[in-house]
Amino acid sequence: MNKEAPLSIAERDFILNALREDVRLDGRAADQLRPLTVSFGEEYGHVKVQLGRTSLIVRISAEVTKPHDDRPFDGLFTIAMELTAMGSPAWDNGRQGDLETYVTNVLDRVVRHSNALDTESLCIVKGVSCWSIRADVHITDYDGNLIDAACAGIMAGLQHFRRQDAVVKEGQVIVYGLDERVPVALNITHKPLSVTFHTFDEGKKVIIDATRKEEQASEADVVIGLNNAGDVCFMSKFSGSPVDAMVFVDKTSVALEKVKEINAIIDKALQADLAKRAKSGMLEMSRAENDRELEQ
Amino acid sequence: MSSPLVLLPGDEIPSEYLPSTNSAPLRLGPGLRLLSQPPSSSAPSHVLTATQAGILSTDNKKNAVSILSAPNRRYIPTVNDLVIAQVHHSSPDYFHCMVTPQAPHVVLGQLAFEGATKKTRPMLKQGDLVYARVLSVGLGAGAEVELTCVNPATGKAEPGGLGHLTGGMVFDISNGMAARLMRASSSSADQQDGVAGLVVLDELGKKLEKVGGFEIAVGRNGKVWVDCSNGGDAAVKATVAIGRCLTTVDQHDLSPADQKKLVSRILREMKIEV
Amino acid sequence: MVGPTASLTPLARADGSASYHCPSTGSNILGSVNAPVELPGRRDALKPEDATVEVFVKTGTAPASVGERYVEGIIRGVVGRLILGRERGYARRGVVITLAIVGGESVGRADSHLTLLPALLHTALLALLSASVPLSMTFSATVLSVDASGKITREPSAEVAAAAKSIHVLAFTSKGHLLLNESEGAFDFDTWEKVRQRASAICHGTSTVGADGDIAMVEDADGQPLEGTIRETVEDQVHRDYAWKIDAA
Repeated sequence: MNKEAPLSIAERDFILNALREDVRLDGRAADQLRPLTVSFGEEYGHVKVQLGRTSLIVRISAEVTKPHDDRPFDGLFTIAMELTAMGSPAWDNGRQGDLETYVTNVLDRVVRHSNALDTESLCIVKGVSCWSIRADVHITDYDGNLIDAACAGIMAGLQHFRRQDAVVKEGQVIVYGLDERVPVALNITHKPLSVTFHTFDEGKKVIIDATRKEEQASEADVVIGLNNAGDVCFMSKFSGSPVDAMVFVDKTSVALEKVKEINAIIDKALQADLAKRAKSGMLEMSRAENDRELEQ
Repeated sequence: MSSPLVLLPGDEIPSEYLPSTNSAPLRLGPGLRLLSQPPSSSAPSHVLTATQAGILSTDNKKNAVSILSAPNRRYIPTVNDLVIAQVHHSSPDYFHCMVTPQAPHVVLGQLAFEGATKKTRPMLKQGDLVYARVLSVGLGAGAEVELTCVNPATGKAEPGGLGHLTGGMVFDISNGMAARLMRASSSSADQQDGVAGLVVLDELGKKLEKVGGFEIAVGRNGKVWVDCSNGGDAAVKATVAIGRCLTTVDQHDLSPADQKKLVSRILREMKIEV
Repeated sequence: MVGPTASLTPLARADGSASYHCPSTGSNILGSVNAPVELPGRRDALKPEDATVEVFVKTGTAPASVGERYVEGIIRGVVGRLILGRERGYARRGVVITLAIVGGESVGRADSHLTLLPALLHTALLALLSASVPLSMTFSATVLSVDASGKITREPSAEVAAAAKSIHVLAFTSKGHLLLNESEGAFDFDTWEKVRQRASAICHGTSTVGADGDIAMVEDADGQPLEGTIRETVEDQVHRDYAWKIDAA
């Protein structure tokens, strides 16, 4: 398998020495994100995330399917991420690498296992039919910190997505087209995001949102997943050298601050997109959306 | 240059664009090929066609013609190019180095250094950087590319600076930017607008004089090595500032005026006294 | 009608990339090319004197299916004929083309992939140009559907394509050769000839068809020939890339 080119000794040493002076290659502070933009495409649930030089596209889709036998009241939710040669020449098409497995696993835990999407609300007929929501993550440019960027993209997508309306009439499931009935927003229970930290210099220096070169030079990474309320839903340190437990405690507050910052950026983008859609003659649609939310 | 001729693959090069001096044979650069036409046609029996998209560039002095193609393309080793290579492993006779990622390793002779003998050859480890010249690219498929850090004719490291790069930092830039920096740094003429539209190096040179100046090596493989080891306390900051300036100019195609502004802004941000 | 829009080199990591949007079919494709790269583990499969072309089409919202593998084969055939795989640095290396369907309605598992094919082909071509992979020439492609009454629709939407009697994808090289002909459904030779003429007009304009009055009208409706769109996209990017050189002159 192809691999990213390893760092040279000069690069590794320089990144470490600079961090000892609290200098990062792009002039950022240790707990400063790269510029993050979230934008939406024409379709519901089509999100573009740009985090510095890392960029990706998330697309959310829905289809009616049969629920799992052991969970007849639950709809399905899958996160599909495949690293292709588009994101980095070092990735092989059609072959799963370690990074892909790792990132998919973390995304699954932060977003899916924390029940960010209420899967019970996706049930149409118990044990017979339900919605299957699928989030496809396409990495278009890789320059570090895939996890946080993908997490923000999926959460933004889930909030932006509108599925078709479906009703049960005389035992038949009728799915209305997007233009026939006002499409339905997904039921989001909370908005968890991840913040990835990388440690250097025997754990003495900790930074967030590392670039690709910083990731390569780091000793270990720590991922913390939490929501705006500060509820921690995921914490991991899979590999690398040991990290002092205090790092987890200290950095959780930094992570909370960053989660609020990212969620604010997503909210702002959602508002702007809603305003744009309202302007282009979809005012009725968004109004009906609000009414529905009030009823609930 | 009047309005430049943009060519797509398969386009023929009109003869009026070719260098007119007929004394020397025409030299074809990258992106062009010579095709013979069916003998029946009244046109000349050979035509030049493009194989890459880009601007036609002619050099009347050398009687050469080539195509300047996309600046972000992958580097393909060409004889006499200066590159920054990274040692991957060594064998009894060679250092096996990486010039482009996801490409086969190139070889660099253990003795291809200035003053190297069997006893005094440099001991390079994995991950060390060398500034080297492409000696040969071989013929045919699977041929090995060979580098050298010495001019075989004189036994000297020519041009100066070839050899092991110690310390400093490497920044990734596009291929096109590397070629421009090369021209800008090799030309001594102090032009108003800089060479190849670049004033960023001159500007950095002037402003960083106080912190001891800097050393720079540009590799055609899209790498630039920067070292400010004379800078004392400001060395790291100055290196980062130079790297940021170069990569920003590359990514945003800044005009000379904007490059000057950028240098001032980044030096201010990095809190470097000028 | 609104013609397609495209841009070159939107991505940073890949050696070459392009994005392509066709409003009438609604397809939105992002493509990347990495070349020449080493393809480890496939050494035995590689041709010793030539480059190996790999094409990967990634669906936007659904699991991969046989439909993508089918169009991958067609795309590999088309661009493989144009790539000069014996140029310096390319022999025994790979040209990896990755195409992601990033917008537009997803193609169902049983639906035809032909409506997407021209957009995929154009994206692949533009990404190859952006990566400066040596090519012998360029091409342009279009998709036409014929309904039961014999009416030809250029670049049909998903509904029109589903109702069509036959669907045809044709590609022409910049020298005017027919490069690709993929048809689906029932049709006769006369229909195909009409389709070919119309496709040629869409790709090249009418100059190759002759001074037929009817066809001249068709050209107006089709707007700029596709070949021109591709050339303009490349010219725009080259002018941006070499602004420093052009402005200085």
